Amino acid sequence: MNLKRIAAVASKEWREVTRDRLFLLLAFLMPALWMVVFGYGLVLDVENIPFAVLDRDHSELSRDYVYRFLQSRYFSVQGSLSSEAEADDWLLRGKARAVIIVPEQFQERLQAGRSVDVQTLIDGVFPLRADIIKGYIIAINSAVNEDLLVDHLARSRGISRQEAQRLSRRITLDVRYLYNEEVRSAWSTVPALVMFALMVSSPLLTALGVVREKETGSIYNIYSATVSRLEFLVGKLTPYVMISASNIVLLWLIAVSLFAVPFKGSLLFFLAASFLFVLTSTGIGLIVSLLVNTQQAALIIAVVVATVPTILFSGLIVPVSSLNRSAQFQAHLFPGMYYTNIVRGTFLKNVGPMVLWTDVLALGLYAAVLGVIGYRLFSKRPRS
Amino acid sequence: MTAIDAGAMRRTVVWWRRLAVMTRKELWQLFRDIPLMGFLVYSFTLSVYVTGSGMQTQLRNAGLLVHDGDHSLSSRELIHRFHPPYFRFDGELTRADEGFHRLDRGGSMVVLDIPARFHEALATGEPVALQLLVDTTNSPQGLSAAGYATRIVGQFSQETAFSRAGLPRGTSQVLPMIVSDHRVWYNQDQNEEWFESIAHLLRMITIFAMLLPAAALVREKERGTVEQLLVSPLTPIQIMLPKVLAMTLVILCAMAVALFGVMQPLFGVPVRGSLALLFTLTALFVVTTAGMGLFAATLARNQAQVGMLTLLVVAPMLLLSGIMTPLEAMPDWVRYLMAISPLRYFIEVAHGILLKGAGLQMLWEPVLSMAVLGGSLFGFGMWRFRRQFR
Repeated sequence: MNLKRIAAVASKEWREVTRDRLFLLLAFLMPALWMVVFGYGLVLDVENIPFAVLDRDHSELSRDYVYRFLQSRYFSVQGSLSSEAEADDWLLRGKARAVIIVPEQFQERLQAGRSVDVQTLIDGVFPLRADIIKGYIIAINSAVNEDLLVDHLARSRGISRQEAQRLSRRITLDVRYLYNEEVRSAWSTVPALVMFALMVSSPLLTALGVVREKETGSIYNIYSATVSRLEFLVGKLTPYVMISASNIVLLWLIAVSLFAVPFKGSLLFFLAASFLFVLTSTGIGLIVSLLVNTQQAALIIAVVVATVPTILFSGLIVPVSSLNRSAQFQAHLFPGMYYTNIVRGTFLKNVGPMVLWTDVLALGLYAAVLGVIGYRLFSKRPRS
Repeated sequence: MTAIDAGAMRRTVVWWRRLAVMTRKELWQLFRDIPLMGFLVYSFTLSVYVTGSGMQTQLRNAGLLVHDGDHSLSSRELIHRFHPPYFRFDGELTRADEGFHRLDRGGSMVVLDIPARFHEALATGEPVALQLLVDTTNSPQGLSAAGYATRIVGQFSQETAFSRAGLPRGTSQVLPMIVSDHRVWYNQDQNEEWFESIAHLLRMITIFAMLLPAAALVREKERGTVEQLLVSPLTPIQIMLPKVLAMTLVILCAMAVALFGVMQPLFGVPVRGSLALLFTLTALFVVTTAGMGLFAATLARNQAQVGMLTLLVVAPMLLLSGIMTPLEAMPDWVRYLMAISPLRYFIEVAHGILLKGAGLQMLWEPVLSMAVLGGSLFGFGMWRFRRQFR
């Protein structure tokens, strides 16, 4: 390995990148912009669910009951309906995601001490949303039931409300949220977005590097030059690794300053692990670049390979433990998952290499394997 | 027929023939790119299968650790209620403070702490509090786990309170209670395979529809072949449109493969509405999205630039259009921003036709929005394209 030759390749590549103003601008702007847009915009909590009410009872109790839904921040009541046909229509058009139908004799039955069935129609197109809606409705109903029961006990046994409350006392569950005490969605997404931004931008930066030279034919200069395969690849990657490495710092700054996400771990460890991660993500771009012959193919393959597993299988939105086996297997195939553990661990949990060494090791192995594959794939004597 | 009519007629025929020839050229160019074609097949088959079968957004397998300070009948019964698919029992802790360390290490998500004398307290009606530690590094999942836990404990406590107060167990006719009866429509079993495979199909269509024509156009610019084309008897629209037509054809075929080769046979995804409508509107979506890509192509000078420009737009589209998380939960500005994302409309169309059996009369709003958006993007792209080569 001759450092001079590496430097020559690197400086040529660096000039090519810096001369292309738009490309250079986007290389820095894109990750930062995503971080801001997604940090504020990617809300994973389900709130403001469009909701409609069909009240067939029109009594005082039914109005009280409906009011509980009106009050909830989870539901955004769009209006009241007059018939079931209208409910169908609203659900079909997506004007409401759930409709609650309060039956006739709602008040009468409850006052007579009998139970009453309240039907809810839920749009099940989005299973997660349907599940969350069900949960909210159950929670509201059980709060109502608790009140009803206390009243009933007090009345039927002639005891005070306090006494009735004691009788029907529930077990309390004190929930304590760790690492993200106020359960802010941004605190859990922003660190993972550092992973997303690096994982998606750096392969794209690199993917066109070699294939561009293949398409324009300038690769023949390399074939005939004294530069060795390894020197060429290292030199080629250096500028892109540098750009991504400076993006690490930029993204970290955005996370701690703009989003005020606490950084509890060791910065040195974080930077070192991030650098390792950037090596793997640029490595993926390099492999794509070596495998294909057109920039069009390189672009689309890099975009799909970088974005899809990163969105789905890296723990950004759904933890890997919730996935089924085949998806978990796929999650382990991409470096994003390991780095998500590292960013979340160093930002929120204050854990370091003692806990995260397996993830660091996985990234290291990943980078090494990509390096070997890249070296093997690149030949100075291509067929045809 | 007058001579003028015949001339006009001939010109029309020639115009269309040129368009057809150019479209065939684009198709050939695409088919010759073996890695790209292989990847297209993978994206619309295996990738759809893995995502459809593997993605779970609802809470699953939240690792539960228990510190049981009571070891009684009641505590064991309560622990048993934390069961799959929501919770996965990760083991018992001997000391309460061990929970923190285990959560630090990751893997488990919640720690339930049951105090001593739990059983006794239940029998006498003394107040009793359980503690739950929840890892909220992933906040929605943490909240969801806490929600399920609260539901389980609530149900358990209601039952014990009932038996203490001498009331019949469970919800009963003779108590003033609201019995919640939910019906889930369109996807009764809340089958995530349906939802995730549809979402993935839309993701793939979007990426391909945006990138393929954009890269193809920029390639011609980069190599200078577009100038050759422009001095040929072709109009700019005859250069741009074939790229879109070719990609649309390819994408529609790929969608058919995904739908009839993977989603229907393996996941049982229904097609409740009209297939013809689905394919027509998919074509509209592809053309609209391609309009976005072509617009980016007129801004870019080389393929690296166009790649970055499109990805800059595609990533927010994929994450914020409502295929990952419901759009109504998003902040207002995101919803305004997504008004220019064709995917935001197409997701309604796809769900409407496939799951709800909706027809055009139900879907005219998103369809109109897509058409207007596609028309203006295309028009604007054309305008810029012409101006660049004047």
